[in-house]
Amino acid sequence: MNIWLTYLGMAVVTYAARAIPLLVLRNDPPPWLALWLKYVPAAVFTALVVPAIVMSSGAAGRVIAFGPAIPAGFIGALVAWRTSNAIITVVCGMVSFWLIRMVMGS
Amino acid sequence: MQGVTHSRWQAIRQGFIATIIVWPGVAPFGMVYAVSALAAGLSFSETLGMSLIVFAGASQFTAVGLFAAGANPISIIAATAIINARHLLLAASTASYIRTSPGWLRAVVAFQLTDETYAVGVQQFEKTGGDAWFQFGANLSLYFIWATSTVIGSLLGALIPDPAGLGLDLIFPLTFIAFLMPMVRDRVNRSVALLAAGISVAAALWLPGSWYVLLAGLIGSAFGAWFAGVTPKITPEEQH
Repeated sequence: MNIWLTYLGMAVVTYAARAIPLLVLRNDPPPWLALWLKYVPAAVFTALVVPAIVMSSGAAGRVIAFGPAIPAGFIGALVAWRTSNAIITVVCGMVSFWLIRMVMGS
Repeated sequence: MQGVTHSRWQAIRQGFIATIIVWPGVAPFGMVYAVSALAAGLSFSETLGMSLIVFAGASQFTAVGLFAAGANPISIIAATAIINARHLLLAASTASYIRTSPGWLRAVVAFQLTDETYAVGVQQFEKTGGDAWFQFGANLSLYFIWATSTVIGSLLGALIPDPAGLGLDLIFPLTFIAFLMPMVRDRVNRSVALLAAGISVAAALWLPGSWYVLLAGLIGSAFGAWFAGVTPKITPEEQH
């Protein structure tokens, strides 16, 4: 099959996941669903952050990796807690990552 | 009518600009994607084409790996569906903010909904209420940087031999930490985050793709709803 047809299939399944809830959930959600959705952002953001910091993926799949990303992420979290500023958070986190990696000599 | 058009344009522009904050987290991934796609034997137009047509980073990386391994198209499409299933949750959450917008506009917004623009949208909507045009502007902004970084990666790829070696892949989680921390100032959200952290790591160890995001998102938020229900109303002074 042509590579562009593969892209089309990929796009269709991706669009379905993005569009179906947006098109189906049209009325006021029932209170239990509204309350549930209210806590989705914190849960999803955490799931995007924590494995990306504490795990690395290699040939054998994902494993927990105790590297400089963990203290750097912790420093980033402290900075974000104090400043609520994404740019300052990223800069502080990256600088501490490079410094820690230098000190650890890896 | 003039006023409506004006405020639409305003909202699109606002969303576009608000999303610039996630560009530094996204651009390295776009560039790395392009480098790995070209290395896997895709042409420049095929590399850029996937960014424009599919527009979903994690699944594009996976597809490149599968193309390189000579996988058949059906398995590539199935892997894409599994990896992008988490968008169901992002879209359901977004729907709760913009459900009064016209159907065609929600259908357009859906095409470019991503982790990053979802985060930018929710932050804005919690302050000002939902606005599908703002979301559209945010989406356009990310589409723009994803396409641009794919092109730049294709052109300059040879000059940055190992972006992951520089640790640039850390920019993405750091950006999301900045979104998360202001959110966990109340007890319920803090508990949700702790639970989601545990579930996501455990699930990422055992399950393929990005099922862990969907699983931690669903269970963590369900727990939050239950916990908020059994907890007596917290007064604002006690929140911190």
